[in-house]
Amino acid sequence: MISEKGLWSRLRLRLLFTGPTLFAFATVMIVPFLYGIYLTFTNWDGISTTSTMVGFENYAYVLKDAVFWKSFYLTLKYVIISVALVNVVAFLLAYFLSSGLKGQSFFRAGFFIPNLVGGIVLGFVWQFIFSNVLVSIGQKTGIAVFGTSWLADPDKAFFALIIVTVWQYAGYMMVIYVAGLMNVPKDIMEAASIDGATAFRKLRTMILPLMVPSFIVCVFLSLQRTFMVYDLNLTLTKGGPFKSTEMVSMHVYEKAFLSRDYGVGQAEALVLFLLVAGITLLQVYFSKKLEVEA
Amino acid sequence: MKSWKSLQALFVSLVMVIVVTACGGNAGSTPADSSTAEGGANSGSASGEVKITLLNSKGEIQTQLEDAAKAFKEDYPTITLEIVPVPAGQSPFEKASALYAANSPSTITMLDTGDVEKFKDRILDLSGEKWMSDKVDGSTDLTTFDGKNYAFPLSIEGYGFIYNKAVLDKAVSGSFDPATITTTQALEDLFKKIEASGTGALIVSPMDWSLAAHYLPLAYAGQSADKAVVNQFITDLKGGSVDLSTNKVFNGLMDTFDIMKEHNIDKASPLAGTYEKGPEVLGKGEVGIWFQGNWAWPQISSFDTASGAYGFLPVPISNNPDDFGNTQISAAVSKRLVLDKEKSTPEQQAAAKTFLEWMVYKEKGQDFLINKANIVPAFKNITLEPQDPLAKSIGAYISGGKIEESMSALPADHWSKVGASMQKYLAGAADRATLAKEIQEYWTTVK
Repeated sequence: MISEKGLWSRLRLRLLFTGPTLFAFATVMIVPFLYGIYLTFTNWDGISTTSTMVGFENYAYVLKDAVFWKSFYLTLKYVIISVALVNVVAFLLAYFLSSGLKGQSFFRAGFFIPNLVGGIVLGFVWQFIFSNVLVSIGQKTGIAVFGTSWLADPDKAFFALIIVTVWQYAGYMMVIYVAGLMNVPKDIMEAASIDGATAFRKLRTMILPLMVPSFIVCVFLSLQRTFMVYDLNLTLTKGGPFKSTEMVSMHVYEKAFLSRDYGVGQAEALVLFLLVAGITLLQVYFSKKLEVEA
Repeated sequence: MKSWKSLQALFVSLVMVIVVTACGGNAGSTPADSSTAEGGANSGSASGEVKITLLNSKGEIQTQLEDAAKAFKEDYPTITLEIVPVPAGQSPFEKASALYAANSPSTITMLDTGDVEKFKDRILDLSGEKWMSDKVDGSTDLTTFDGKNYAFPLSIEGYGFIYNKAVLDKAVSGSFDPATITTTQALEDLFKKIEASGTGALIVSPMDWSLAAHYLPLAYAGQSADKAVVNQFITDLKGGSVDLSTNKVFNGLMDTFDIMKEHNIDKASPLAGTYEKGPEVLGKGEVGIWFQGNWAWPQISSFDTASGAYGFLPVPISNNPDDFGNTQISAAVSKRLVLDKEKSTPEQQAAAKTFLEWMVYKEKGQDFLINKANIVPAFKNITLEPQDPLAKSIGAYISGGKIEESMSALPADHWSKVGASMQKYLAGAADRATLAKEIQEYWTTVK
């Protein structure tokens, strides 16, 4: 028994199993993270052999950087709209594709597939669709809304981003909701049917409360993914037209690598990390309270 | 419970050890002299074989460079040169700094002019090289710091209005003479003539780098033929004492831009265009003119319908043909080669220097530069004539002394930030006062 052995042999046993992972985790996550925090206090430009400690100057700059907060606000808007849409669409897909529809496995697979395509490829494909396919359809049929490229107009480009995001993530979240729906106890549903509850009544008072754990997971996942969106942003709109769709990750990246201001970029990354960590933790904490026992 | 606590303590100390050793290792490897010795151990210099690498950031000549490496090996059998491409979409600075951060820089790195200064602590002083006496005047000014030149000028690139002669011949009903376009008025008349002949006048490509790294800098460089005045203008911009809205050159350039907007075939949705569309419509003769540079030739030639008859027109900034800028096109050394001094052995450094000399002085090297890679060289001793029409056109402007120095050392984020302002103006989402204000605001934030 483990507890009967001495401290050293227990440590050895633990290190045997967790050691390699611990080492990998420490070297690729913890150390770079701490080193990154160190860099936020310097004015390093990414290449020079020397850099000076500047204290909290970079953080002061972050607070004053209007463009950073503008892109953060834009990202927040994007996150709220896309998290809501992703989850509503995913839940509806899951609900209808679990109701015994003919060929439902085929449809499930179909809706899941966009998630298998990498964000970069997906961005390029949709860029082609928005700026070529839709435009030529619009010009041939005279539908005004497709007459010019969506990606050339600030508002439409923003919604183009949301459409592609929903298309990409809804299938993935659908899979989680399908699993959640399967876990709703059959006896409760059966009892409800015998009592004569309508489908809507069953959905509202039985299925939805019982699926809160699925919602927590899905909202958490979609929050985190949409907050950190970069690949889609880069390939679909490149932040354009005229930087109107530049999300916060892209701004941070450009600060560090394009403006050659590594210290400030790193400080903005850390601020972003804290904000996103805070928001997602709050979400999980508060939605946990909604959970019910079957 | 107690032992669990001590386990936690052990875990924390383990993490600390990892952190401390990792940071220590990093700091220890920075001094340049100690690392050259350790670099020597892992390259097989004992056998006389030297292996060097070149980080290529000019994607369009990747295969030509690989062939050049083979030709170089025929001349110098003991040197193996490997060409490493910068991945598409990554900047040379980003890739090179990542390689330095990983302690494995390439022996030769191809950088953009403005980036060289950042690397100057880590690269070799090339002031004593033979080719320094044959370089084109001024070609190393921007890479000279404290009297030492740190980079090899690889290629001269130029830009302006590229015209398709077949389309323009038809428009002016005769043989088009580029020397007739020296004023904004003449340019506008030409646009109208092209349109009258049933073709689109020009295409304005809306990429931020094209608008803000190429077009707008004409307003800076065009201030004066005297470089000191231009430098002073940039200093004043940074200091916030320039009022662009009353600046003659800026306004003249933007007047020309207004005319370009007016005759742009993408006028309906000016930001929807892509780079790829430019060479296609120009090459196929659907437009007569495209604002771009000689690097676009490979793409244009794949659509060519004018049997290779293309050339450059200057971008006029006023209606006085004698004004500076109205007869000049913008050109400068765009790509530079620098040699690493931190991780390369003396043998590798010597081999890299040999490669640079080979390009300038050996027949095969010159053949690669001019005939294979279509590069306009920055060396006076090379007499080979370039084959492609755009390089030829630049050559003609250079030999005629009709060159305006490109602003190739602008701040690194200039094209991106000011490019967004230019796009706004192009799309009609901002007027000229807003544009001038945004450009001035950008410059005051430059460190």
